[in-house]
Amino acid sequence: MEEQPGLSDQYRMSSPWPVFVALGLALSEIGVFIGLFPVAVFGLILFGGSIAGILTESGYATRPWPTLVGVGVLLVLLAALVAVLQLPTSAFTLANVGEGPLFTRLVAVVVAGAVMVAMGGAGSVVEQTKV
Amino acid sequence: MAAGDLVLTGLMAVLLVGIAALLTRIENWRSYTPLAGGGTATGETVIHREKPAGIVRWLTTVDHKDIGILYGVYAVIAFAVGGIMAMLIRLQLVTPGGALLGANAYNSILTSHGITMLFLFGTPIIAAFANYFIPLLIGADDMAFPRINAIAFWLLPPAALLIWAGFFLAPVTENMIEPAQTAWTMYTPLSVEQTNPGVDLMLLGLHLSGVAATMGAINFIATIFTERDDDVSWANLDIFSWTILTQSALILFAFPLLGSAIVMLLLDRNLATTFFAVEGGGPLLWQHLFWFFGHPEVYILVLPPMGLVSLILPKFAGRKLFGFKFVVYSTLAIGVLSFGVWAHHMFSTGMDPRLRASFMAVSLAIAIPSAVKTFNWITTMWNGRLRLTTPMLFCIGFISNFIIGGVTGVFLAAIPVDLILHDTYYVVGHFHYIVMGAIGFAAFAGIYYWFPVFTGRMYQRTLGKAHFWLSMVGTNLTFFAMLALGYLGMPRRYATYQFDGAIAPLAQVETYHLLATAGALILFVGQLIFVWNVVQSWLEGPKVEDGDPWNLERDGMLDREFQWFDRKLETTVTDGGEEEEQSALTGARSDD
Repeated sequence: MEEQPGLSDQYRMSSPWPVFVALGLALSEIGVFIGLFPVAVFGLILFGGSIAGILTESGYATRPWPTLVGVGVLLVLLAALVAVLQLPTSAFTLANVGEGPLFTRLVAVVVAGAVMVAMGGAGSVVEQTKV
Repeated sequence: MAAGDLVLTGLMAVLLVGIAALLTRIENWRSYTPLAGGGTATGETVIHREKPAGIVRWLTTVDHKDIGILYGVYAVIAFAVGGIMAMLIRLQLVTPGGALLGANAYNSILTSHGITMLFLFGTPIIAAFANYFIPLLIGADDMAFPRINAIAFWLLPPAALLIWAGFFLAPVTENMIEPAQTAWTMYTPLSVEQTNPGVDLMLLGLHLSGVAATMGAINFIATIFTERDDDVSWANLDIFSWTILTQSALILFAFPLLGSAIVMLLLDRNLATTFFAVEGGGPLLWQHLFWFFGHPEVYILVLPPMGLVSLILPKFAGRKLFGFKFVVYSTLAIGVLSFGVWAHHMFSTGMDPRLRASFMAVSLAIAIPSAVKTFNWITTMWNGRLRLTTPMLFCIGFISNFIIGGVTGVFLAAIPVDLILHDTYYVVGHFHYIVMGAIGFAAFAGIYYWFPVFTGRMYQRTLGKAHFWLSMVGTNLTFFAMLALGYLGMPRRYATYQFDGAIAPLAQVETYHLLATAGALILFVGQLIFVWNVVQSWLEGPKVEDGDPWNLERDGMLDREFQWFDRKLETTVTDGGEEEEQSALTGARSDD
C-alpha cells in the first residue's frame, strides 16, 4: 500500500472524496435530465470539485485549482457545442432561460462551468498571494 | 416555480456548505504525523490506525475488504427488499382476481422486483465477493484503483434510491410521481409514453448503477492483470478470478451500451428526440439495444457464481476441479458467444427468419460450454470424499437447479418451441431457476464458505442446513410450478387471471399459482433463518481459532485467502492486540 498513500500518514486506507464524487455525479444527472436548475448547478460543482480534490489527494495533480478550471471549461465547451449543433440562433435569448427545455439545461451546465472556473481562478490567486 | 426553485437552491447551498465544512474538518487529518516506526521521542508506542473510527471509517474507506463488506450489506438489503416485493407478487396471485394489490401497484412492484434483484442484488453481491477475495486470491495488496473502487460502490445507494423513488414520492406528491410500471425490460413505446417522472428517476438510477458496474469492471481487469503476486501466473490463476476477469470484460462491452440506450430513452421522453419513435429508429431498436446488453448481462450474473462453485465444490469433494483448463476455456467461450444470442428474446417480433435461425444456432451452441462445466462439476464429485457442509449443499443445489434452468433454456432457444412458450410463465420459471436457483445458491455457498474469513466467527451449522433445505424445496416448488403454468398457457406479468376457459384451464392455473405461492412462503422462511444466522453468528458466534476451519490442508487445497486468514490469526494471537494495531507495531503489511 505504500505506493497508494491515503489522505494522510495517519489514515492511509481512507479518503473522503469518493462519496462526494458519487453524490456529485448522481445530483448532476438528476439535475440535468429532470431539468432541476439548482440541482444541476450544485451537483456539477460538487462533482467537479470532488474530481479536483481526489486527483490532488492521490497525487495525480499537485494543486486542485487547475483541474477545477479545466473541468469548468470542458463543461462550458460541451454545452456550447450541443447548443450550436441542436438549437436555432433565435433560441439564444435571456427570456428563453426557464422556457426552452434544452436551452435551460445547457445554461445550467454553463453556469456550473463558469462558477468552477471562477472558483479555480480565485483559489489559485488566493494560494499564490498566501505564499 | 420560482418558490420551488428558491427552496431547492437554498437546500443545495446548505448541502454544499455542509460538505465544504466537513471536508475542512477531515483535512485536519493531514496535520497528524506519527514518527516512523510508531514510536515517539519518549519511547511510548503510538497506536497507529489506518482508518478513522465509527461511521466515518465506513464512509471514507478505500480498503478492498471494507468495500467488499459494504457491497455485501448493500446486496443483502436489496435482496430483502426484492424478496418482499416477490412475496407481494406471489400473495397477489393466490386468487384469480388478485388478493392484495391494484393493477398499477402490481405493475410497479413487478418492475421494481426485477430491477432490484438484477441490478441491486445480483451485480453487487458478486462485487462483494470479488472485492474482498480477488486481491487476497491473487496476492495483491489492494485493488489497482482503491478510490475508484470506493466511488463505484458509493454510486449504488443513490441508484437504489432513484430506482425506488416512485414508492417514496407517490404518497407525498399525490401520485404525481409514481413508481415505474415498465417492467425491467422497459420496452418502447410503452416506456416512452408513460409520462410519469418516476420512470425518469428509475432510468437515472439504472444509469448510475451501470456506471458503477463499469468502473468496478475496469478496476478488476487492471487488478488481475497488473497486481498479481510474482508466483501467481496465468497458468495457476484461480478459477474465481478467471470468471471475474471474463465477467468484467462482458461488463465493459455491455453496460456502456445500456447506459447509452437509457440516455436515448431519456432524451426521447424529455427532449422530443425520435430514437425509438416510428418516424425515427422505431420501437424495435430498443429491443435490439436492450438485449445486446441484456443477454450478456445474464452471463455477467452467472459466470462469477459458476466460478464460486468451481472454487468451493472441489474443497468438499476432496478432489481438484476436474478439467480445470476446460472450465476456463468454457468460461471464455460463454463470454464470447454471449454477444451473439441477443435476438433469441425477439423471435416473436416478426424479424427476418434467416436472422432468427442464426440466433437459434448460436443460442443452442452456448449450451455446449455450459454443459462442459456441468459435467466437470459432476466428475469432480465422482468418487470424491464428499463432505456435505452447508456451502457444499448449496453448490450441489446450484448444479441441480442449473441443469433444470439450463435445459428449459435450450428448449426456449428453439424457435418453434419459443413461439408457443414466449411471454408465458415458462420463461419466468426458466430464468428464476437460474437467477434464484443457481446465482442465489452460489452466493449463499460463498457467504457460508468464507464466513469465518470475513467475520472471524463460525455460523450455526444446523441453521445453515435448514436454510439450504428450505431454499431448495421452496425454489423447486415455486419455479417448477411456473414451468407447468407456462405449459398451461398462463401469460407472464398479469396482475389477475380471470380469463376465458378457452385460453387456459382456470382451475389448474389457480392450483399451480397456489403451489408457487406455497413454495415462495417456504423460501421466505428459509431466508429469515439465513438473516438471523448471519447476524447472530457475526455478533455472537464462536470465534474461529484455526486458520483452516474447513480442514483443506489435508487435501493440499488451502488457497491463498485462507493462508492470509491464518497469518492474520497468528499475528493477532502472538501480539495479543487488536488487528488494527498490527501494522505499526510489527511493521506487517497494511492488508494484514
